[in-house]
Amino acid sequence: MAVKNAVKSAVKEKVISKDFKEYIRDVNPDVGLDETIKRLTPEKIEKTIKAVIGGRSSRIKAVMNTCIHCGLCAEACQWYLSNDKDPTYAPVAKMRMTIWEMIKRNGKVDAEFIKQCARIVFTECNICHRCSMYCPYGLDITFIIGMVRRICFLLGVIPQRQLDQAQAHIVTLNQVWLSQNDWLDVLQWQEEEVGADFKDLRVPIDRDGAEVMWLPLGAEPKTGTYHIERTAKIMYAAGVNWTLPSKDVWDSSSMSMFVRDFVTMQRIVRGLYDNAARLRIKKMVLTE
Amino acid sequence: MNQIAEWDWDTKEKYIADINEWRKKFPVVRGLVASDDGEKIATVIQTEDNRFTTCVNGDVWEETFERLWSLKFTPDNKFICLTYKDYEWALAVDKEFWEDRFDSAWNLTLSPDGKNIAINVKKEESYGVSLNGNTWENRFVDARDIALSPDGTRTATLIQTKRLKEGDIFGFQEGIWTVAVDGTPWDKTFVNVWGVTFSPDSKHVAVEVRFNLYDYTIAIDGKTWEKVYNCVWEPLFKPDSNDIIAPVKTSDGWTLAINGQPVWDTYVQLWNQRFSPDGRRIAAIVAPEYGRWTIAVDNIPWNNSWSDAVLPPIFSPDSKRVAAVVKESRNPFHMESALHNVEGNNRYSIAVDGTPWPGDFEMVWDPIFSPGSDKVLAKVEKNGKYFIAIDGRIGKHGYEALWNPVFSPDGEKLLIRCVEGGRYYRRVVPIHEI
Repeated sequence: MAVKNAVKSAVKEKVISKDFKEYIRDVNPDVGLDETIKRLTPEKIEKTIKAVIGGRSSRIKAVMNTCIHCGLCAEACQWYLSNDKDPTYAPVAKMRMTIWEMIKRNGKVDAEFIKQCARIVFTECNICHRCSMYCPYGLDITFIIGMVRRICFLLGVIPQRQLDQAQAHIVTLNQVWLSQNDWLDVLQWQEEEVGADFKDLRVPIDRDGAEVMWLPLGAEPKTGTYHIERTAKIMYAAGVNWTLPSKDVWDSSSMSMFVRDFVTMQRIVRGLYDNAARLRIKKMVLTE
Repeated sequence: MNQIAEWDWDTKEKYIADINEWRKKFPVVRGLVASDDGEKIATVIQTEDNRFTTCVNGDVWEETFERLWSLKFTPDNKFICLTYKDYEWALAVDKEFWEDRFDSAWNLTLSPDGKNIAINVKKEESYGVSLNGNTWENRFVDARDIALSPDGTRTATLIQTKRLKEGDIFGFQEGIWTVAVDGTPWDKTFVNVWGVTFSPDSKHVAVEVRFNLYDYTIAIDGKTWEKVYNCVWEPLFKPDSNDIIAPVKTSDGWTLAINGQPVWDTYVQLWNQRFSPDGRRIAAIVAPEYGRWTIAVDNIPWNNSWSDAVLPPIFSPDSKRVAAVVKESRNPFHMESALHNVEGNNRYSIAVDGTPWPGDFEMVWDPIFSPGSDKVLAKVEKNGKYFIAIDGRIGKHGYEALWNPVFSPDGEKLLIRCVEGGRYYRRVVPIHEI
């Protein structure tokens, strides 16, 4: 009995796309996809698709008509290569199963279709751009995938974790929900940590006219605080006149970019440059 | 500003403090802060027992702390800072503490006359504001940013109204952020709020709001504009009125809206709108095309534009002229261009009414108009030293440190606050001697 149960649990339940029979995947519950589509209506879906595609439909059609299905993009894709060259992971297939179908059906697709699109563009593509580089015609496949992400974002259909991080950026302009006082506290705490070992080793906040402003990733002050201490040591040893901003924005990451939340993307980049201008720094150093 | 006439405009030079001597005397001397009138210079010093205190004109505070931050002089020369000791933050004004203590204190903000002080605070695991030591009784899950009314009597901050469980994407989209004014939250909540600002008469509060993942508008006292936009930037009240202007993004591009109605042409980008002192003119940063920036005054862009940066416009006192910091690179997308800080490339300058100064600099601070509006000066950096530049001409003296110069009320002299040879000086210099 135990053996039978073990065997049963090893066989994962599969979901087969009703639109593309060859698209077969494990069932992977995610409220960001399963629950959000319940709020969609056909009218909302169609309106959103048409709003995003807008005047660009001819550009997308040009991609559709130019593509010769040579498969070179597939050879560039780590998802395709790491899934036994399953053709449903090929970038061209990802376009075909998402935006090409939306255009063919003039935006008249259902909520399940949107869920499938969200799964494809958010969980089976890293927006790495390699496919666009491999395409002999230079077709910007990543741009197309990004448009599908934009449609899904506007419909609110995004894997929970990705949407949560994007929502953190919306409010806090960092991806880890860090409050303004916690950001400052971490910097001051890290200065204390290193100050005991080095005379006047600073984690300088808002130093006007500094040469360099360092902008960490959100995770560094949240879970990798030692990165701040180490960066301070490097700057100290290198004799760099540097600083960190007291005000939003200080997180150089942008989860908003991955979901194509254009407004928050702008707000993040604007905030980084506003801090640079406010403090009159000459160079921005970003963690990556 | 109104106190400037009372400053000493007769003494040519005052040697205030020997900073090099401080550096010999104390284990560590941190950044310097000069008072507006130049009479005082303050710093944080480390004591022999690895604690911190302040030194103002050589006067060392006997009390020591674990942390010291946000050193400031008020326009009437009071010295304020945030202190941290025994796990408590306190605000000190001329060595006297507010009675209240906080788990956190930040965003130290002064009213224009400097007589009122506001800070964001965290206390007993809840967030709010303290104004002159009177802490809001209503506090919230989180608070970000602060606004202090022009008359210094009212405060506002952006607040989170209820806790959110980790990963609660649906709770977030219901809208749990709003504005609290004097501790009272607006009834209406939003997905997010930004750019809180008070009206000139201190009676009204405006803010950017986001309704959902894609609709934005401006809210005043909790009531939103009827029109929604693809995006909005910070609202600004018109002087002597309750009219509000804000950049808004329509399907055609960015424009400026007054009380919800678009009134300017559209641009690729538009932000940092400013009213002239007389309230009759508006200037803003605009991008007339991708990758080019300039200033538009009353919806007419300057003829010149710049590739890298144009900073917020500054009106002359007579409201007739506009100046801004500008930056140009020969090719901003070329790595060599970005890295090589050479004459004419990747350098800052000042443009006045659309015409850039002939010279450029490693860095330029905000332009300052003379009281008669006829001259423009700025603190500039060249070859690692700081100078004063007037109408494009760089001054004779380079300093180790320099604070923004101040014109005398008659516009004939400049107050210069500088460090030279490791010493801090307050100098009053006729304009023609710069």
